[in-house]
Amino acid sequence: MDTTTPLLNLINVSKRFGGIHALKGIDFEVRPGEVHALVGENGAGKSTMMKILAGVITDYEGEMRWRGQPVRLKGPRHALDLGIAMIHQELSVMPELTVAENIFLGRQPLKGGVVDWPRMFREAEASLAELGFEHVNVRDTLDHYPLGVHQLVEIARAITSGAQLIIMDEPTSALSPMETHRLLELTRNLVEGGDKSVVYISHFLEEVTWVADRITVLRDGEKITTLKAKNADKQELVRLMLGKETEFFEESYIGAREVEDTHELREPVLTVRGLSKPRAFEDVSFELHAGEILGLYGLIGSGHFELGEALYGLLKPTSGEMVLSGKPLRGNPRRAIDRGVAYVPPSRRSGLFLEKPIYQNISLPWLAHISGFVPSVAKEVKVADEVIHRVGVRPPDPLKEVVFLSGGNQQKVAIARWLVELPKVFVVSEPTRGMDVGAKEEVMHILKEMSAAGVGVLLISSEPETILAAAERILVMAKGRIVEEFVDQQVTKEMLLAAAAGEMVEQPA
Amino acid sequence: MAQKSAETTKPPSKLRAFLAKSREYAPVWTLLVLFLFFSVYSDSFLTLENMGNILNQVSLLAIMGTGITFVLLTAQIDLSVSYMATFTGVVAAYYTAAHMAQPWPILVALLAAAFLGVINGVGTAWLGIPSFMVTLAMSLIASGLSLWLTHGRIIFDLPPLANILGSGRIFGIKWLVIVAALTLLVGHLILRYTRFGRYVYMTGANPKAAELAGVNTKGIVTAVMVIAAVTAGLAGVVGIGRLGSATPTAFDGMLIDAIGAVVLGGTSLFGGIGGIPQTVIGLLILGVLRNGLDQISVDIYMKTLITGIILLVALVFNIVFAGKKEG
Repeated sequence: MDTTTPLLNLINVSKRFGGIHALKGIDFEVRPGEVHALVGENGAGKSTMMKILAGVITDYEGEMRWRGQPVRLKGPRHALDLGIAMIHQELSVMPELTVAENIFLGRQPLKGGVVDWPRMFREAEASLAELGFEHVNVRDTLDHYPLGVHQLVEIARAITSGAQLIIMDEPTSALSPMETHRLLELTRNLVEGGDKSVVYISHFLEEVTWVADRITVLRDGEKITTLKAKNADKQELVRLMLGKETEFFEESYIGAREVEDTHELREPVLTVRGLSKPRAFEDVSFELHAGEILGLYGLIGSGHFELGEALYGLLKPTSGEMVLSGKPLRGNPRRAIDRGVAYVPPSRRSGLFLEKPIYQNISLPWLAHISGFVPSVAKEVKVADEVIHRVGVRPPDPLKEVVFLSGGNQQKVAIARWLVELPKVFVVSEPTRGMDVGAKEEVMHILKEMSAAGVGVLLISSEPETILAAAERILVMAKGRIVEEFVDQQVTKEMLLAAAAGEMVEQPA
Repeated sequence: MAQKSAETTKPPSKLRAFLAKSREYAPVWTLLVLFLFFSVYSDSFLTLENMGNILNQVSLLAIMGTGITFVLLTAQIDLSVSYMATFTGVVAAYYTAAHMAQPWPILVALLAAAFLGVINGVGTAWLGIPSFMVTLAMSLIASGLSLWLTHGRIIFDLPPLANILGSGRIFGIKWLVIVAALTLLVGHLILRYTRFGRYVYMTGANPKAAELAGVNTKGIVTAVMVIAAVTAGLAGVVGIGRLGSATPTAFDGMLIDAIGAVVLGGTSLFGGIGGIPQTVIGLLILGVLRNGLDQISVDIYMKTLITGIILLVALVFNIVFAGKKEG
């Protein structure tokens, strides 16, 4: 293998979407046998660049070279034929099919026109063994296995299809620490032979500095720099990525934060005792105080989102009690709202009416309060206008449909709804998922302002940065139970992950 | 798949606006084209009398369609409306024949329809059975009740009020048309101007989000199923007056036309988009089409085929554009 010719080059590549310059004159190079990490905030141009590499976007300016030869991809199929495979953030596996079928999806070995099952099982086993995963039975359907194996199957699929360049987009975002560790080792093993390369996109900087040979930093569509991972300093990387002073998130990206115990001075507004719901959470007890931001951290599937739903009356607990301002809390969302509980679900789409104007999204819980039996659009617009200015929705036009807003601004609308009448308890799940750092900061500001106004905020998230950026006190859930409380101490991301995984994380060193 | 990311391919807002507009106005253009076509190719189409005929012909559909509009706006469907209409007409006639004092037969009949609507609603909203299955079963139940009550016979004893509303006139205008117009108007006022109407739209636009905003979505779905049943019942009561008798299958065949008219007008099968004005356009399209095909003496055996093709085209349009609600 000629190691002097790069496997892939981008030369002065630019891409515009309407008026937005998504990529500006990018030069990028992947050498054979390297892991090249791509870091940057959302909107920095990572996904646009990946889509160009994978043949999804074909109308760009500039040149792409594959093994030194200029090439213009015609589509994803063309990229695959050349040997470029992309592993998507949202996995494209079929849980109902067997592991082997998933690996050979769309190109099952045939014998006389029918699928050659023995051969498919044999080859699937061989490819998984090569990746060091002999314990997976390729005859089982994929839903027998955790997400880590799903990811593995995608990688096995890419390799058996003969991919030379594998693009991994946030491959660890849904994985447990153990699974993450294994995936990182696997990634290193992949490139050891010197003929395969990986483009690795992640915002987990520890992973990136551990797994990558080189790191390219993108910001606002421009390449800021490419540096050797060995020399990279996390703090420096964050500064390069963000390019500006940030209040909450810089320290949370680095991963340490002081939490302090301020709640003894305040009265509990919500008391939860022994709350249980089979297959969701068990024997959960905690207090939420007026004016505090209580972080509730857990890995996906640990029951923290379900706990949020229960507080809002979306799930009926089978035992235990919830007491709000001295009176039991039960019933449906309507009653929860009337008692002063507000809720934002983890998925924005399930909480918003995308095709409806902002004002209708905001006024819906309050229609009876804003006007009588006949809603007054003028009053609704006035109410909406006030709260969206307070949270800084851009553009601040209450008549605009929510679908036209960016993700961050959609989230601000979802939160702004609960500023019309300030709740006592604000349960907010995953408020900053998929948002750029600027928008995250703004959302955190709103939460801080609400807590300053006396609202008890329960901040539920699977993103340690989000929890560390705002929480004053942190509960960690694992397998449906609260396993740890952090008060009055320095908390790091590793501590959160370790508590949530119920094991000491093996720090990749 | 990858194109769906918000960052990349959102069509320019001008194009989006144009698509949205063309979807919104396509039924109006369809109506105008059909209207002009029949006006040119038939001497008898564009007359005052014939216009009155068209209104008269779509009146029963309009009463039924008002309730169907509510149901479709919540992203549900009701396949039992035409059988409910038959059933309600039969009940009103049955108790009239049994010498129950007026106007009780009509009230009992409408209450019975409402009760069947409640079953549709509870089955859909609380038991979680898809509305098309519940209402399909209900269509058999309503039809079965009609047959059972009449034993297959025709009842000629009708409530006097049904006779007046079905075939009477006031100031030269048919009561039937007035009842239809009033039903549409009341439906429109409720949908457009009341809190309940807003809840109907929001429940259809995103049921989960509506529930999260404190809307009693199960109650809303039940309510629209009851509204559909009662408007169907009203159509049945007025309808027997128009036919002059109650038969056990009188209005069964109206189902396709009633749902078709609402969808033709542009009310989305996926909920949240549409309304009574759209339904009025849809009714007129269907009315003009049916009437016009008669006027230009097209092969009578092709009428149904042509109507079906036009309905299919409208559905394709409805789904192609409604399916692309967001990128």
